[in-house]
Amino acid sequence: MTSLPGFTVDIDQNEYLPEGAREVSAVVTVTADATGQVPPPELGAGGGGGGSAEIIIVDCSGSMDYPQSKIIEARAATAAAVDVLRDGAWFAIVAGTTNAWPVYPADGSMAMADERTRAEAKRALTGLRANGGTAIGQWLRLAYRIFQSCPATLRHAILLTDGKNQHETPEDLAAAVGLCEGTFNCDCRGVGTDWEVGELRKISSALLGTVDIVPDPAGLAADFEEMMRGAMSKQLPDVLLRVWTPQQATIKFVKQVAPDIADLTGRRVASGAQAGDYPTGAWAPGESRDYHVGVEVAAAAVGAQMLAGRVSLVASSAAGQQVLGQGLIKATWTDDEALSTRIAPGVAHYTGQAELADAIQEGLEAAKRGDEETATARLGRAVALAHEAGNEDTARLLAKVVDVEDEAAGTVRLKKKVDAADEMALDTRSTKTVRVKKE
Amino acid sequence: MTYHCPSCGQPFDPADGFCEACGAPVVPAAVSSDTGGSAPECPVCSADSSAAPARISAEGYCESCGRKIPSVRDHVELDVGLAAGVTDRGLRHSRNEDAMALAGTLGARGPLAVAVVCDGVSSAPRADEASLTAVRAAVRVLLAAVREGGDPAAASRAAALAGATSLGDLVGPQGAPAATYASAVVAGDAVTVCWLGDSRIYWLAENGSDSRLLTRDDSLAEELVASGLATAEEAMASPQAHVITRWLGADLPEPQPHVARFEPAGPGVVLVCSDGLWNYRPDPAELAALAMPTALDDPLAAAVALVKFAVEAGGADNITAVLTPFPPVWSESESLSRRQR
Repeated sequence: MTSLPGFTVDIDQNEYLPEGAREVSAVVTVTADATGQVPPPELGAGGGGGGSAEIIIVDCSGSMDYPQSKIIEARAATAAAVDVLRDGAWFAIVAGTTNAWPVYPADGSMAMADERTRAEAKRALTGLRANGGTAIGQWLRLAYRIFQSCPATLRHAILLTDGKNQHETPEDLAAAVGLCEGTFNCDCRGVGTDWEVGELRKISSALLGTVDIVPDPAGLAADFEEMMRGAMSKQLPDVLLRVWTPQQATIKFVKQVAPDIADLTGRRVASGAQAGDYPTGAWAPGESRDYHVGVEVAAAAVGAQMLAGRVSLVASSAAGQQVLGQGLIKATWTDDEALSTRIAPGVAHYTGQAELADAIQEGLEAAKRGDEETATARLGRAVALAHEAGNEDTARLLAKVVDVEDEAAGTVRLKKKVDAADEMALDTRSTKTVRVKKE
Repeated sequence: MTYHCPSCGQPFDPADGFCEACGAPVVPAAVSSDTGGSAPECPVCSADSSAAPARISAEGYCESCGRKIPSVRDHVELDVGLAAGVTDRGLRHSRNEDAMALAGTLGARGPLAVAVVCDGVSSAPRADEASLTAVRAAVRVLLAAVREGGDPAAASRAAALAGATSLGDLVGPQGAPAATYASAVVAGDAVTVCWLGDSRIYWLAENGSDSRLLTRDDSLAEELVASGLATAEEAMASPQAHVITRWLGADLPEPQPHVARFEPAGPGVVLVCSDGLWNYRPDPAELAALAMPTALDDPLAAAVALVKFAVEAGGADNITAVLTPFPPVWSESESLSRRQR
């Protein structure tokens, strides 16, 4: 059997705990082998179909016509994304208003990408008009049904909207997201500034994708191309992060922390007596992500050693599961303070990065409520944290929202006039992290 | 006089080094890890008889409670008749990074014993593997050379070099492993010692008061004392006391070990030990008081007592003590019975 690409798992932690301590914290760096091996049929496309399936969901609500460049650029961006599709990949295009309908293929199936189908799809796109409301749950439900018609296992969608989810209840949307969870991954994009960051973030985090703003419709094509290239690079679907813990231990949290923060704690699915699985979605060869895992164990005597956790990467498919790599989180109790007070650089760094994301989101929320004092304090803290960790992109975004007097100390003033797009960009990208600076 | 092979029982000529009948080395060196792997089950979880037996993972942890299953190296006792030793993890370290190797045999020029102790340097990677690899490589060279009647001083240097060379295989991205080194050859009318670092070799005289330290630490503490900057007590209290200035390491391909020869005036015991022991009792006469007179007749019992003393004194470090009675007296029956217990 062809072997699956392996994963290298590196653990950054201080395994030494002072007497009586119970909290074990580790940053787990997971890197897929760079040699891109095609997954074997048993675990790959099951049923002989191709590996990848893509659906592009385009908002066709009436507001996409104001300005008209939105619908024009959305059509062009979708066409550009179609051109990035690898030959043999399955794809479909969906249009959404208060309803959703298949734009291509018109019968609600998926087409296999080749010269002919790409041309047909682009022809179909020219007929796309903006007219109607917004019910994103309906769009997702249609994408779900279309994916079901296709054997591919690497399923990914791009969802574009320009407005709020006005024509269905939040519960409708949540139910649709719940239906789709675990069946495909979805990157969400908002064009302009009339959409809700929180709304799209709920979708993208449940569907293991990204959320971002494209303030100027002219930027859509480049962004769609990039997302599609990313999707085409994936080769391994449905990888699970499995965490084994000893008896009497509790998992406090499991978070992806790089390239961006995604809390997976609540996504646990029990797997055997002392293990749980957390979804990580699809992986490309050479891709690397960091996870922060917190475990509370039963304290043991000085000198005792314990395995506080075993982190495995598991490829999962209908045909079975296969462990592709693992790392150990350890605990050793010591009375040597020089050991127990040592700081693991990764743990400290990502604790700071999580605080940075929280500070930004809380600061922006406070500003929206008119609570200038809290907003100034939280955004000031964010400036200091971004400076300290070297998040240059985040620092630049923050400087568009506050006037920075002293970045090291985090002394800032709220800007009198803030561009809505800048504020939304800061919000969507607040969860983007940088990795530990190499000395 | 006829000798018999400890493996197959056939008579053999001890000068051969190998049994003509079965080919086994006649008296192989005993090494402190050669007695097997981890315990088969978790002592904590298996105490609950109502629970299903817990498996032990490949990494040596209990699959149920996560506890590290004690390593066989945590406490090892070896007895080869002409020498005996004990090594112990102590109370504060999570693993035993000390290692020992010893052998007693009838050489070309009479009975002899060799002992090697290494203490892995914790600040370097793979300290536990380093000490074990080094003692194993060194004792092989040392035993082969002195059994043939070779010069013990030259053999000691060659053995230290073999120990250093063996560490080359352990060099990884984390750096070069390192260890202290101390060897003793007890043969004929002399004791030949060789060392690098702060593991020590003592002469413990039967009468106690003639006991003396045969080595001089390669440590900052020793340098402070030698240069008159501090008293021995002040130096040992300083944070750098245990920083060693010479060691056995893959980063030092040509070690310059110290070699010294000592001719005891009367009976006694040679003690090769790591700092886990002498930290608690550096004075030679006081160590002799702990070991004598048991050590003359039952070196294993005396080594057990010395290690127990250090554990009860705090066990802050790994502890190793190897005792070799002088003069070496070859007693076939006793030697074989000890080896089998």
